[in-house]
This record gives sequence, structure tokens and C-alpha cells, in this order.
Amino acid sequence: MNNRFVINYTPGPTPFHKLTGFTKVFLFLAMICAIMWTFDIRILIPLLLINCAEIVSMKPNYKPILIVFAITFVTVTLIGNVMLFAVSPEAGYNNVGAEHIIWQGSGSHYISKEFLWYIFVVFIKRTASFSSVMAFALSTTPSEFASGLNHCGLPYKVCTVVSLAYRTIPDIANDFVNIRNSMMMRGLELSGRKASVWKRLKNYVLLLIPLIFTAFGKVGNIANAMDLRGYGKNKKRTWYAEREPGKLDRIIRTLTVLLFAAVIYYVIRYRIIDPWPAKFWCPWLARDEVQHVNTLDTIKILQWFRNR
Amino acid sequence: MKEPAIVFKDFSFRYKTQKTATLHDINLEIYPGQKVLILGASGSGKSTMCNCINGLIPFSIEGEITGSCRVAGHETKNSSIFKLSNSVGTVLQDSDAQFVGLTVGEDVAFIMENDMMARKDMLPKIDENLNMVGMKDFVDHVPFNLSGGQKQKVAIAGVFGNDVRILIFDEPLAALDPQMGMTAVDLIDDLSQDEDRTIIIVEHRLEDVLYRPVDRIILMADGTIAADVTPDELLKSDLLQQHGIREPLYITAMKYAGCSLEGNENLCDLNSLRFTEENERKLKAFFTADRAVKDETEREPVIRFTDVAYSYDGRQNVVEDISFEIGRGERIAVIGKNGAGKSTAAKLLTGIIRPGKGKIEVCGKDTADMTVKEIGEQVGYVMQDPNTMIVKDLIKDEVGLALSLRKMPQDQIDERVRQSLEACGLYKMRNWPVDSISYGQKKRVTVASMMALEPAILVLDEPTAGQDFRSYTEIMNFVNKLNRDYGTTILFITHDMHLAIENTDRAIVFSDGHVIDTNKVYTVLSNAETIRKASLKQTSLYLLAEKLGLDPEKTIESFIAYERTVKDA
Repeated sequence: MNNRFVINYTPGPTPFHKLTGFTKVFLFLAMICAIMWTFDIRILIPLLLINCAEIVSMKPNYKPILIVFAITFVTVTLIGNVMLFAVSPEAGYNNVGAEHIIWQGSGSHYISKEFLWYIFVVFIKRTASFSSVMAFALSTTPSEFASGLNHCGLPYKVCTVVSLAYRTIPDIANDFVNIRNSMMMRGLELSGRKASVWKRLKNYVLLLIPLIFTAFGKVGNIANAMDLRGYGKNKKRTWYAEREPGKLDRIIRTLTVLLFAAVIYYVIRYRIIDPWPAKFWCPWLARDEVQHVNTLDTIKILQWFRNR
Repeated sequence: MKEPAIVFKDFSFRYKTQKTATLHDINLEIYPGQKVLILGASGSGKSTMCNCINGLIPFSIEGEITGSCRVAGHETKNSSIFKLSNSVGTVLQDSDAQFVGLTVGEDVAFIMENDMMARKDMLPKIDENLNMVGMKDFVDHVPFNLSGGQKQKVAIAGVFGNDVRILIFDEPLAALDPQMGMTAVDLIDDLSQDEDRTIIIVEHRLEDVLYRPVDRIILMADGTIAADVTPDELLKSDLLQQHGIREPLYITAMKYAGCSLEGNENLCDLNSLRFTEENERKLKAFFTADRAVKDETEREPVIRFTDVAYSYDGRQNVVEDISFEIGRGERIAVIGKNGAGKSTAAKLLTGIIRPGKGKIEVCGKDTADMTVKEIGEQVGYVMQDPNTMIVKDLIKDEVGLALSLRKMPQDQIDERVRQSLEACGLYKMRNWPVDSISYGQKKRVTVASMMALEPAILVLDEPTAGQDFRSYTEIMNFVNKLNRDYGTTILFITHDMHLAIENTDRAIVFSDGHVIDTNKVYTVLSNAETIRKASLKQTSLYLLAEKLGLDPEKTIESFIAYERTVKDA
């Protein structure tokens, strides 16, 4: 079974791998919040760089990461932007708040500086969240994920579900392959050429029946095995996967708290108390040049409350 | 005398979903330091009894208990599964399902984590437990890369909580190849050396367990204790036949030779067994009698592998230089340890994967030009677990599925399904839902659904795994009938040497991706080199031959030849 893609089952060798599960989960949550709440390139780019540095420090196998990146991001972004250009070239105006047209095509097709800025920022934002997910996935084993979530306050029964899921995915995948092979030998068309997509889809549904039955059989066994080893005995449990925090853990935990505080400060200061009028900050637009404010933007609503 | 570790007194148990009691009138005392084998056919109540000891009954599995069961001083029904888990460790049959951690270390730690032990206290204990089962170097390994035997060792290390004095092994040999099985029996024996420790083994593979001594055998039948005896007493009696348990091969041989089972010392252990003079004479006469397995006439080949190689990753070949021929109507045992290439060869045969090099012919046609579906009409592949094959609700629909997928007219399908179900003895059940039949019957349904395509070759993957002797005999009789009546070529992929001896003509032995032997079963099983390389186990006939100073090959052949005349008569 090839598990060397992104899920690691055993902790890797680099300092970042060796952080405790809690540190990694906490850092990940802070990163994701920061990226989610801001459309400001001055924050997104440093976060992206930090995440990339983390990834590089782990010396991963880049090939699968780049493949996923290429497929999900570059193509999606490219297609999305072409579509956006065709359908709604005013996206720049709507989000950034002004318009400097640099190319005017026929009809309603045009490109503005703000449109390009808009798609650039969205790309950076997506890339930053992708890099953050990657850094987390590469560094964390499912058990560390579970123990980290538990330390963040989630009930441990929920957390063990997470690690058990990872434990059984390869087994279920294996069962699925066996069931599919045996059905192919009986003459079920599952590969291309001979059957239509719809037909093949229907045939795959047929495979689910034995798959679900075998999976249910396993659930009973696992539940018994866990009961027999005292699972659920106490209100809390300890975790083998949660190592004692080291010096680097303390440093990163502190930095994460600071990051979290900074992001909350930023949101309050620049989006509520004295907000930039448009959703996107833009280097060449002064405050009073912003003409358009999206009426559904939360800022607008908050402003309305403030002005009362 | 010490306090008994386990006491059953007038104990009965009825599952909530059942009308009658599964266990009744159990009276039993087991003392610390004893090693007890609980023997019995499927459904005799042996697993239920274990679950009463470890607390799954009544805490996870509901039902009604009458009488008393005291384990390590606790009355189980007033205790809790957690309290009991401090003194009872249970190694389940399916060591894969039992593996809940994502690494070996984490799995062993599971019981300590639930006990809220601090991590720094866990580490030395994990080390100690893994050391006990010889798996210390595997602490960071993931379950997917471990063999069945290794997983089982981890499972054993993982049940040692604070004060575990009672160890229960539920069918520990079911998923292991013969040599791993021996290792497991050895390990259990080592664990039983501690005189405070009570060991309970539940198995129906009597001969394999008796490879190391046990103190007592408790024979279960229909929910009661049918016998509570020493191994010697059991072997001398006719309890085994009565209750559908397979007797050791050497005992069968002694019976064939007309030996009396009385008066032999250490009957249960072939190594130290001392025959009476009369018996020794009878055995020698029996095995040297002029008897040979009928050599079949020339058969036309139905399967031919020529210099086949295959690699999953394009770099390292998992099988290499595979060349062999199988004739029409032959019964073949495909043997070798897990990962030796047996299942890769089977996948190559069925066309699921295609050879990187070499040629595979089925019924004279090169499979390279055939689709999986077309090969499927010649080669029927029956998987180990019938539940992974059955997709329809009704038996007749399941059996007819492959035909309706091939767009055969309905009246022809009905006719073929009828023939196939009749051959498999299931015709009366054709309108039954598949859920309502037993495991052995499901197995037959899967075979029937292969037979509907009238294949020339039937491949059975571990056909008897997890089956008791009765069900085993039933399946084997049925497969042999197909072979006799329809000339179907049968390939058994198996670890079971009994099966190979009794039901096959020839063996194809895999080791490290190569075919190392394709001789007659008796030749293969008397070749020490092959046995070692393929991780097989010497059958007791081999040891018996050595003991008597006879040639093992001749001895095994003579046994097989005699047995076939008995069976055909």
C-alpha cells in the first residue's frame, strides 16, 4: 500500500515535523483564520512565505505537491479568470472600488488595472491557504492531529474518530479494489471503451453493497477491540502521539498567539473601527478614490451601525 | 491450591436477539498457571464463553445471564468491562481489526492512554511489552506494512495492561501461514511459563495447537461442556469425530494402520510419543505396503505460464521467471507464504494485471488478446470472504448476474442457473434472500455464480479459512464433486497443508516471487528445502516417517493413496 503521498503515519525527521500535535494544530488554525479574514496582500504574502519556508524546511517530495498544485490551482484559477473576464469584467470595480481601464475590447469586454489586482490577490489568497494546508498535512500524522484537536478542547471521542478514519481508509480502499476486480471478472463493465459513463456509474454503485457490508463487519470488531482495551473508561485520556513540548514548541506557540492577536487587532482596527472602504486594499488607490462600496459587505453593515 | 482464576457456576447465557440460551449449565474452574484449549465446532458456544470472561458479555453484547461467573475475584455481571480489562487481555481473531493505532507504538499504548498514563511512563512499558513479543524494533512501523503474524504479536503486546493475568486467544491461527502459526503457538507457550498467568486458547485446529503442550482441553458442543479432559484422553476417545473436530493426521494414520490408541506414551506430542511395539510394527507394515497414487494419463494443458514477470512499480519484479503448466481436470495447491507471489500470479491469470514479460495461455489462447470479461468465462475466481462478492438480494439473481451482464436470453439464464444451483446443492434455496443463509452456504453461492459461466478453471482463494471441520468437509466434498463430474480444473490458494494432502494432486510452490517446486504434493511436503523456503510446516506424517525411520515421501504417498481408496469406497 502506497501511503507516501501526503498523509504521513509516522513523524518525519525535521524540527518542524517534531513539533507536538497541539502546536501544529494551533498554528494551522491561526493561519487559516488569518488568511480567511483578510484580503490584504500585506498580510497574505508574509503568511504565504512563512508557510513555504515551513514546507521547504521539511524537505518533502515536491512532485506530488506540485502536481496537486498545478491541477487544483493553476487550472482552476486560469479557467475561472477567463470565465470571470468573459462574464463579469467589473469584478475589479466591485471589489477594489475603482477602475482604470487599460484595454478596451469590443462590447462589454475590457480589462482594468483593478481587475488584474483582484485576480492577483485572490490567487495569492488561495495559494496561501493551499500552502498552509500542505504545511500542516505534511508535518502532522493523523494521531497528532487527533491529539492536537483534543488539546484544543474537542472531546476525545470525536478526535479518535479522526485517527480511526485514517487507520481504515487504506483497508477500505483495499477491499474496494478486491471487490471491483472480482466484479470485473464476472463481466461488470467498469473501465472505459465499452460502457457509457452513466452505465459505468451505475455499475460502481453495485460495488457499494458488498463494500458497505464488509465495512460494517469491521466496525463491530473494532468497537469490541476498543472496549476490551478500556476505551471510554475515563473522561479524559492521554496521547502517545503528543510528545512533551520542546523549546521550538514554546517559541512557535508564542509566535502563534502573537499572530492571532495581530490578526484580531487588524480586523478590528482596519475593518471595523476605521475600515478601508472597499473589500481589497490596493496600493495605487488613495482612500478617497474609492468610488464603489459593495453594499452587502460586512464593513458597510458595521459602518451603518457605527453611524447611528 | 490457589484461588481459581475463573469460576463458572450453573452459568447460562441467552443473547437478547435469541429465544434459547447459547450457553447453558456451565460449571468450570480454571486455575492460575493453566493453559487451556477450548475446542468446538462453529456455533458450539466457545467464543460466547470467552466473551463472558472478558466482559464483552454483558457490557457490550446484551443478553440474559443466570448463575455466576467470577473472573479474578470479580463477579462479572456486577463488575464492568473496564475493571475486567485490567485483569483479562483478549487477542481477537482478526488482528487487523484489533489494530487501532496508526503505529505499532501507538497501538500498544492504547490501553495506557485510556488509563490516563502520562506519556513518559508509557514509553518504558511499551518497550517492555514489545520486547516480550520480539517486536521492539518495529515501534514506529505502520500496520499496513506488517504481516499477519507481526500484527498478532502487536495485538498481544497491546492487551497487557496493568495487571493482566488472564490471556484469551480467540482463534489465533486463523489468519496465519503454517510457519507463523508455529511461531504464534511458541509465543503463547512462552507466555504461559509464568505461573500466575492463565492462558485460554480458542481454536478448532487441534493439531496445530498441540504443537506445544496444553494442560486441559475443554470440548464445547451445543452450548455445554461436552468434555473436560487432558489431550491424551481426548485423542484416545472418539469425541473428536462425534463433535466435528479434525483429529491430527498421525492419529488418522494410526487408525488406518489398525493401531490401538491405548498404551502409547505421550500420545498428544509426536516428538515424545512412544508407540507400543505392536503399533510400531503395524505402522511400518502399513506404510511400506505397496501402494501408489494413481498417475493420471496425459492431460491437455488448460493453463500455461511461460517465463512471466510482473512489477507493480516498474522497477522491482514481484514475480519473475514464472513458468508452469496445469492440465485439464487437475487439482492444484498453490502454496507459499504471504507476499511470495501467489496472489499476483492469480491476478495475472485472471487478467486483472498483465504480465510485463512472458505469456499466459488459458485453454490454448493467449490472454493478452482477451479482456478480463472474456478470461472470466474461462477462469472463475472465488474470493476468500463471500461477503465481498455478493451484490444481489436473491440467490438466483446472484448466480445469474454474470450471465445477465453478458446479455444472455432469460430462458437460457434460467437454465444455466438451475444447472449451477443443482450442482451446488442450492436449487431448493434459489428464491431465498442471500442474508438468510450461513457463511458456508454463501461460499457455495459464490462458487455457483462462477459455475454458471461454465468455466474450465476454478480458483479458490483460501476456501476453508475460518471454517470448522464440518463446513470444511462440506466445501471440499462439493468442490471435488465439481472436479469429478464436470472436469473442472481446481486451483486452491491455501496455507492449509491438510487440504493440500487430502484434496490436491500437485502443488505449485512460490517463494520470493519464483516458482520453486511444481511436484506432487507428497514430494513437495517431504522436501525439507522447499518446506523451509516456502514457510510451510512439516506435516505430522513427515515427523512420523522420521520417527519410524521410513522415507517421508513414500510414507506420505502411501497415506494419500490409502486415504483415496477409503474415500472413493
